[in-house]
Amino acid sequence: MMASGSLILMRTQVLTLVCLLAATPGWSKVLLRWTQSSIPPAATMGIKELVVSWEAGALIKNARRQGYRVFAEVSVGQAEEMTKETEKSDLAGIVLNPGNSQPGQIELDLHQLRSAYPALPVLVLNAQAKQPQMKGQLVIKKDGVLQVTSPTAQPWIDSNLALVRLDQVFRPAQTPLYEFQWDLSDSLQQEYGPNTADYSLAVAEAGAFHADLILNLHPRLQTDLSRNAPAAWVVLRQIKRDLAFSSPGSKNVSEPEANVGVITDAYQKSYEPINLFGRHNIPFAVLKPSDLNPQSLDAFDLLVVFAVPDEHTATRIADFASKGGLVVLVGAHGPFPWQSGQAIPAGEHSVAYPTGKGRIIELPGPVIDPETFAQDIRRLIDKDKVEISLWNALTVIAVPYRVPGGREKLVELINYAQEPIPVQVQVRGSFSSVLYATPDRPCCDSLTPVQRGEFTEFVIPSLRIAGRVRLTGGRSTAH
Amino acid sequence: MRWNNALAAVLFCASVAVAPTEASQPQSPFVHKKKFAMGTVFEIVAYGESPAQARKAVDQAFREIVRLDDVMSDYQANSALSRLNHSSHSRPQSVPPDLYRVIREALQYSDLSGGKFDVTVGPLVNLWKAAIRGGRTPSSAEQDKVRACVGYQKVELLPPDRVQFHSPCVQIDLGAIGKGYALDRAADVLRSRGISRALLDAGGSTTLAMGAPPGQAGWLVHLRDPSNRVDPQVVLSDRSVSTSEQTPPSLLSRASPGHIIDPDKGAPVRTPFAVSTVANTGSASDALSTTLLLVGPEKGKELVKNVAGVAAIWISPDGHLQLASSGPQILLGGGAPGLATRVETDSGGLR
Repeated sequence: MMASGSLILMRTQVLTLVCLLAATPGWSKVLLRWTQSSIPPAATMGIKELVVSWEAGALIKNARRQGYRVFAEVSVGQAEEMTKETEKSDLAGIVLNPGNSQPGQIELDLHQLRSAYPALPVLVLNAQAKQPQMKGQLVIKKDGVLQVTSPTAQPWIDSNLALVRLDQVFRPAQTPLYEFQWDLSDSLQQEYGPNTADYSLAVAEAGAFHADLILNLHPRLQTDLSRNAPAAWVVLRQIKRDLAFSSPGSKNVSEPEANVGVITDAYQKSYEPINLFGRHNIPFAVLKPSDLNPQSLDAFDLLVVFAVPDEHTATRIADFASKGGLVVLVGAHGPFPWQSGQAIPAGEHSVAYPTGKGRIIELPGPVIDPETFAQDIRRLIDKDKVEISLWNALTVIAVPYRVPGGREKLVELINYAQEPIPVQVQVRGSFSSVLYATPDRPCCDSLTPVQRGEFTEFVIPSLRIAGRVRLTGGRSTAH
Repeated sequence: MRWNNALAAVLFCASVAVAPTEASQPQSPFVHKKKFAMGTVFEIVAYGESPAQARKAVDQAFREIVRLDDVMSDYQANSALSRLNHSSHSRPQSVPPDLYRVIREALQYSDLSGGKFDVTVGPLVNLWKAAIRGGRTPSSAEQDKVRACVGYQKVELLPPDRVQFHSPCVQIDLGAIGKGYALDRAADVLRSRGISRALLDAGGSTTLAMGAPPGQAGWLVHLRDPSNRVDPQVVLSDRSVSTSEQTPPSLLSRASPGHIIDPDKGAPVRTPFAVSTVANTGSASDALSTTLLLVGPEKGKELVKNVAGVAAIWISPDGHLQLASSGPQILLGGGAPGLATRVETDSGGLR
């Protein structure tokens, strides 16, 4: 959940600017955060890089002695002090944690760090992420277990797809880098830390969304690794398998496939609705109104507009609709050019304006029920334009990527239930070869594609947490 | 009624709507686990002699739920229910004990409700679901054709384990009772493993309490309140509570009449209410919440009076409130203007 909206917007705008200056293209990885004083050698761990708090100077030195490249994490307000005390040769990079600082202070610190360490990557962390997980309805509080009843709910998934997609647009110069705190309600987990599957899911999600992650290793796991406890090494080996799977060389080659465009000028206006878009496997891309040009909307079949359109944006929207596109305009009242046409009641509180070959639906208020809204959007997409459909997969998020050339497509899948399930998938486009890979079987199983019109269907026999499907030898349907 | 599962959880609201419990004493360690089954998330919180013992018991309870899903699922082609639905309807079929038992319980609620609760309504659900996906309303002819397949009287139980269908097209869907039944059986497993304090939940719609947390009278459960003004609560101990509510209307389209079908009308019920029902077992609260949503508060209050150990509350988005009880208490919490903070009624309603 976002905190104060305006503050976040301001901070985001500033970060966009400063990140442009601090660009480190090609960055894409999962870094482990270490907090305990004792640390095994890098060669033993098989891990080269760690994130360590800058305040833990002794630990940084120890980690370097043990053979690690160290990324120092520094909070806003500490930059000046850090530049005085820390040699650049001690570090492989810097992670700036903005916390709840004011945008101006973030900018100042980032400038100081960039000036003092011009050769080092300086990354800005988004610490607002959530532990990826399938959630239930019980709310565990410090002083009790609470429960709120509701109609039967399909599994709620805490995912970071919306956060990543927004960061990609509002912080364009940096691959999104996020962290989350573990949500441990169970008394055994509080003592011993997350399950191995929880670590796997976190790594899988970051990889599937093509984002970077700082993964917090539970203190108990760190201690057990230092003590050479066999069970801890089993966990680490699995994490390393997941890391290897989630960091393929092609990560930055493919682009997210999306036929729903989300136009927004602020996180808080659009976050929950597009969070549910991800949940319902609606492939979406985020655009800022200022980024719109006549070509920028060509890839989309449907636009969802959360920004109040200025004249420029309204023109682009109307052009899009007149060519046959469908636009859903949220919380804007106009006047707009298309309102000169006849208004047709759409939903309970919305009206539609036929515009050229398409139409524009206006929802006057904010989206108060993001779940229903996301389901509406899914239904509004013409059946022959649905990019991806899943069956028997209520706990799965699938993210399609297109590879330049159009003859190949990747689909990253994450099962938040963490238990093997078969998944039936339908992808837009015709492909003759379908290869399926998982962390435990990186290459790979050949699946049997079935062509259904303009779509390719296949069944994944078992998806436990992470899976990647590569479709080749065909053509994807052009927009 | 698996279509239920497409309905959203407004969980982010739930997590901020709850108030802290009054308990202040240190809690014993508990185990909290969740499991995806029956198209939703099952959760169990359990206190045991040790976390390890509780964890084993919870795992065993989840295995029981998965086993029952394999019996009662209408999605799994090889489940006992699917085999029954696709068997020859011309002769009785033997079914596993659990399937026989849950159908028997369901038919009891059908009798009690005069057919408003009906596990044979599945074909109508499917008809409406398919039609709405296509952006239209089913025609009268389509509805009539399917309604001919619906009716709990078309299902006959032949003890000890056989089911006889009296229509070639009747089908059973246990979506409105199956999760509650599964919680009852999971609780049996926990008891058999020495657990006496646990809270079991199925997707937020049915919650079953065993005993109480240490030092407390029961498990505090906040009930669904579409008005956000009433904050109804129950303190559950060895009881269950379930909530039913029609699908919210579409924001952008007119074709979303809802997932809960009125068997009498053959169409989705139109009601503004969310209903929460307290009963002695999970299957009872699960079945009764759907029933009380379908019959509405007026008839529902009469029904509640005639069943021991039941309480129900109907709340509409505008704060219209109706209460009925034949025993259990439903507490009205923060902010309901003019209402006592604690309401005990044998029957009757409040506005």
